[in-house]
Amino acid sequence: MKKKHKRTSPEVGAVDINVMPFIDVFSLLTTFLLFSAVFIQIGVLEVQIPFLSNAKPPDFQKPERILEVKADVTKETIEISSSWTVAPIDEKKKQFPRDKAGLAEAHRELLGIRTAHPDVDKITMLADDEITYKELAEVLDAVKFLAPGETLPPPKDPTVLKNGEAQPSLFPKVVMGSVML
Amino acid sequence: MASASSDSGETLTLNIMPMLDVFSILILFLLMSFSTDPVSHDITAGLELPESISIRSLDEIPMITITKKAIMVGDLLVTELENGEVPEKNRTQGAIAPLFKELEKLAEANRVRKDQPADVEGPQKDALSVEMDQTLSFKLLKRVMLTAQQADFVAFKLLVNKANDG
Repeated sequence: MKKKHKRTSPEVGAVDINVMPFIDVFSLLTTFLLFSAVFIQIGVLEVQIPFLSNAKPPDFQKPERILEVKADVTKETIEISSSWTVAPIDEKKKQFPRDKAGLAEAHRELLGIRTAHPDVDKITMLADDEITYKELAEVLDAVKFLAPGETLPPPKDPTVLKNGEAQPSLFPKVVMGSVML
Repeated sequence: MASASSDSGETLTLNIMPMLDVFSILILFLLMSFSTDPVSHDITAGLELPESISIRSLDEIPMITITKKAIMVGDLLVTELENGEVPEKNRTQGAIAPLFKELEKLAEANRVRKDQPADVEGPQKDALSVEMDQTLSFKLLKRVMLTAQQADFVAFKLLVNKANDG
């Protein structure tokens, strides 16, 4: 025969949860997280400089027609130029003020070039000695990265695509052309 | 809920619920800002990095540090700076002589680490990470890059602060 046991508390309505272990865990977790917290996140801007190679020289009998894109940065302006390595050279130059609006315009100009020529992934940057590292970083941001919502058409040459690239780049290869021996 | 009895027999209770609320919010904030970056690096004292929209994280401890007062390779002081420029005595052919010596050692160590024969010449595959104060000029960075170029380093990772909205 089964007996029904009814569980009753001596004082109905006075049941308390012991929150002390909960607070202990919270305290330890907070201490650990405060110690391991990184409040300033450091990123990197990848750039290259030209180098002399002892590799086999290109075949000058059949020169390749490549579009060269350059950004010439001074204290006041940024000049975007593009020209082909083989005739017709079709050189185009546009100058923008080196302020926030000017950099945005220069970025749009570069986006136009990259959209028209998806295989071109290299830009040569020439900078004046007087510009500061802060100003250089601003220009690199405009030259190197796509803004949110911007996209590029896929390149004709699939080897141009980099696997695992976390951030879509406007020009992934930035060569600091001013650094020459 | 913690409670205590006073002399008069009255039970005093401490309401710890607000504290739990604060703890919960604090933990939520800390968990959200918890960094999973492969390398955690404290910026050198007296050095301010520029902001950038780059989301690429730092993956190694910076090799070259350029503050307003000096250039260092790791923890080693290479040269002091005078008004943001390398003193004349430390310059040769546009490069920085003491920095070149240190970078050459580094390039050699990299070759040994990769088991490359000593006679194999060519640009280093490894990028040099550079931490530099945002107020310093490109002229100085160019001099550092030129020195690195002579030691066969051609790729650089310039350290920046990730912009909050980036």
